[in-house]
Amino acid sequence: MAVDIGGLKLRNPVMTASGTFGYGKEYAPYVDLNLLGAVVVKGVSLQPRKGNPPRRIMETPSGMLNAIGLENPGVDVFLRDKLPYLSQFDVPVIVNIFGETIDEYRRIAEVLNNRPGIHGLEVNISCPNVKEGGMAFGSDPDMAFKVTREVKSATGLPVIVKLTPNVGDIQAVAEGVEKGGADAISLINTLLGMSVDIEKKIPHLKNIVGGLSGPAIKPVALRMVWEVVGRVSIPVIGIGGITNAADALEFLITGAKAVQVGTANFINPKATVEIIEGIERYLRKNKMNDINDLIGTLNTGGNVC
Amino acid sequence: MSLKLPGSFKKPIPGQFLMVRIKGRNEPFLGRPFSVYSFAQDGRGVYVEILYKIVGKGTMCLSGQKKGALLEIHGPYGTPFDMDKYPRNVILVSGGIGVAPVTYLASQYRHYLPAAPHLEMVCYHGVTGSRRLLGLERLKEFCSDVFISSDDGTVGYHGSVVEMFEKDVLSYNPEDTMIYACGPRPMLKKLAGLGEVPRFRCQALLEEHMACGLGACLGCAIRVRDGEGRGAYRRVCTDGPVFNIQDIEWDY
Repeated sequence: MAVDIGGLKLRNPVMTASGTFGYGKEYAPYVDLNLLGAVVVKGVSLQPRKGNPPRRIMETPSGMLNAIGLENPGVDVFLRDKLPYLSQFDVPVIVNIFGETIDEYRRIAEVLNNRPGIHGLEVNISCPNVKEGGMAFGSDPDMAFKVTREVKSATGLPVIVKLTPNVGDIQAVAEGVEKGGADAISLINTLLGMSVDIEKKIPHLKNIVGGLSGPAIKPVALRMVWEVVGRVSIPVIGIGGITNAADALEFLITGAKAVQVGTANFINPKATVEIIEGIERYLRKNKMNDINDLIGTLNTGGNVC
Repeated sequence: MSLKLPGSFKKPIPGQFLMVRIKGRNEPFLGRPFSVYSFAQDGRGVYVEILYKIVGKGTMCLSGQKKGALLEIHGPYGTPFDMDKYPRNVILVSGGIGVAPVTYLASQYRHYLPAAPHLEMVCYHGVTGSRRLLGLERLKEFCSDVFISSDDGTVGYHGSVVEMFEKDVLSYNPEDTMIYACGPRPMLKKLAGLGEVPRFRCQALLEEHMACGLGACLGCAIRVRDGEGRGAYRRVCTDGPVFNIQDIEWDY
């Protein structure tokens, strides 16, 4: 079940998606964290962020909208109060980082460099719910290149860059990130969406728009993963609506070297471990010993994207 | 609705809630939080009652479940009411479906009685009309007095539960009284706004839309005043659902 993501060795390809698993501790009563491929923590910024005013979430058909606004206690509190708990476990910890400027991305990468207990960075250039930074960096190939290059120059850790689907040409952004030196790409973050209360004639979310996640976005995510694995040579991590092992297998067959489980954690705290067990069953049933023999085996009849 | 759970299910402390989801369905997608109304156990399992009113898709689907239907249930979640004190008076102020958690709280206060024989519990409960009045008998079992109000005057005091309580509030000594409140947000806001209430210890149980219920998604944030009086967001699911009513910011 082991996979290698740009030098990061995972015991299996199932990771948690940032923002859906807290800092690990929240799920420890339900999940043996040692069983996971990796834990990706809630996004961390240099300074604490209060997040957006409520209402922050809205249920949608087969999914949900959120506009949390990257609420987090800041990198200092993360290192002091959150990381030590996760360090007790034998699981790679990937810190999702966020900045409002390229300089902030570089500085937070520096702060997290050479820290015991951190095994990789995931660079969020794709949050749709903040005014500064976030998606602005992820929708322009040149900006994506620059952020990646800055972070890479500031850290010796493997760097994963998380892409937004809210772009015209995801392949161009992926190429920019690869050129910037990223060790891997993860995609997709949430799709920008909206929902209206017809009685009050107001948006359900105070932020008006929010990010759509859950099973509703899986086909879009899968299509984008397919486009990106066809264009770059660095490993790709598939994210988007993965709720069960079959969903995860779709991404792996399409060419993702690993997957992240996000919104499914909210409706089933044990989702990650159930997906790992399901993938193992699939491999046994198909008499496969190595997950890597499955990755990228999609047969499109010779058609490429 | 009565739920049968495995014997291993932890006994909820008053104020805690369960996340209930209809099994195997993506619509409605998220679980819904419900306060505990009662708890019982025997050799075969654990029984929890919840009260709900049909307000949207989730409760509508729940109401369509037949006896014996399987549900996905997680919990108990949340920081419960603070019951570590032995006040002389316990006052419950509830509105509508908010009667559920205060009734469970009242049922558990019974265990304190041997240590606090003078403890007296009263309930002020408001409903929109007589047809919405439920659980009165159970409240009377635990409370020495139950005062009912209704918006339309079809039962009890004609007016809001907070107005009804306001007439009595001066008869209680804030030093040895604890107020527990649960009900619609406008009711709680009105209660918090009563001039006398800041002199009391008053805990309010809030409701909010949730995704995970266990503190990870940060979706159920409300605004409160922190220790230094500054605005801050807190999670209803884990920092709450019980808050000191004075800390809650009602308008933002």
